[in-house]
Amino acid sequence: MTLNLCVLTPNRIVWDSEVKEIILSTNSGQIGILPDHAPIATAVDIGVLKIRLKDQWLTMALMDGFARIVNNEITILVKDAEKGSDIDPQEAQQTLEIAEANLQKAEGKMQAIEANLALRRARTRVEAINPIS
Amino acid sequence: MYCSNLTSWLSSRPSIYSANSHQFSDIPFVRLSLMSPANNRSQSSSPFSRIHCRLRQLRNRIDSVKNTQKITEAMKLVAAAKVRRAQEAVISGRPFAMAVVDFLYSLYEQLQFEDIDSPLMDVRLVNKVALVVITGDRGLCGGFNNAVINRAESRMAELKGFGVDYTVISIGEKGNSYFRRRDNVSVDRFIEGGGFPTAKEAQIIADYVYSLFVSEEVDKVELVYTKFMSFVRSDPVIQTLLPLSMKGEIQDMNGNCVDAVEDELFRLTTKEGKLTVERDRVSTKREGISPLIEFEQDPILILDAMMPLYLNSQILRALHESLASELSSRMNAMKTATDNAVELRKNLLTTYNRERQAKITGEILEIVAGADALNVD
Repeated sequence: MTLNLCVLTPNRIVWDSEVKEIILSTNSGQIGILPDHAPIATAVDIGVLKIRLKDQWLTMALMDGFARIVNNEITILVKDAEKGSDIDPQEAQQTLEIAEANLQKAEGKMQAIEANLALRRARTRVEAINPIS
Repeated sequence: MYCSNLTSWLSSRPSIYSANSHQFSDIPFVRLSLMSPANNRSQSSSPFSRIHCRLRQLRNRIDSVKNTQKITEAMKLVAAAKVRRAQEAVISGRPFAMAVVDFLYSLYEQLQFEDIDSPLMDVRLVNKVALVVITGDRGLCGGFNNAVINRAESRMAELKGFGVDYTVISIGEKGNSYFRRRDNVSVDRFIEGGGFPTAKEAQIIADYVYSLFVSEEVDKVELVYTKFMSFVRSDPVIQTLLPLSMKGEIQDMNGNCVDAVEDELFRLTTKEGKLTVERDRVSTKREGISPLIEFEQDPILILDAMMPLYLNSQILRALHESLASELSSRMNAMKTATDNAVELRKNLLTTYNRERQAKITGEILEIVAGADALNVD
């Protein structure tokens, strides 16, 4: 029995095939989904999604979203998703540094919120490149 | 302008013939030296130089009209190709938008009896409204940009009438330059990158709007964009973005419900070889949510996560529709321009040929008259 994973972003369908197991990063911690999991609905935090195909783990950086698991069908809706293999390490590192600098400079509530979000996103992207199994 | 030329040419015609018969000794080539580079509408020294001027002028005009026609035709084709891309972008964004709507609806159904309180659904007393105005980057698209800006202006006047303050967030070069001149309170100016709206850009706008709303700088956010009705028709509409309605439905300013249950889909079809657009209303299937679904977190938190996604997809959709409307406007405008150019060129060519023939006839008459005069001797 395998899980059918569907990762959707507003632009396109990032992933739409079968997997063996996934580890999802949610607001209340990381959860692992195996086949025949009970149906749940959860919010997805800015974090790394790990997908297992046979014995290989793939990483994907996910931004804010939502996931629903019913009947071995996983649907993940996120603002943006990038496969770990698609991210350029140098560029991701640079983005992280810029984000950190921006956070230091942020004035006012609005800018602080924005800067925080940007920082978390950049951090996730960097994490997605280095797979931590 | 063209008509006045024609009439002046017609009126000068009899004088040319009379000049020919009486001044047969005046060979046309002599007249060349006397030719002044005058405008074909101004008074030249003699009828001959006037014709010569006119011929060259007409030739130049015909060439320039031909070039313009090529340009407008190319622009039309480019716009037509891009509309297709915009269409495809909307279609590939469909699964996401539909899934969000689906989940939101089923979530709401399940939480109907609970007290839902998400920051994005906070309905406050409206003191300040943010208007997000979406315009195009370039011109030559008919009345597209003007229509949106006028709608925005009328909305601003309306709000002023209610005594509500407003601020404008302008997206698109045309809107930016307009509001810059207008001396309005414009919070931020975004420049559409590359002309193709991506989720990242929608994200930026969504984040900005989100932080504006949550930090209570504004109490209501409205989106002003052009809805793509058909290839010949697109209307600017106003859609309330925030606060999100309890039912997950977004209401239009006029009270019309742009329902979350039904979704509109437009696709390009070829009817008898001509491009048309069909607008389908696709009813998203409402499967009863399995009662066994547990929520990993507090349902309110999940709702919190859903709302920004919905926001994001709404903005992206508005951007895509706006782009499609702009492109179809441009396509139509350029098509009209090309047709006009074709007609103008045809008329100019006719005039040119007539002038040319008149000149040749004049020369022949001259030569014949000259030969006649020699024979008489």
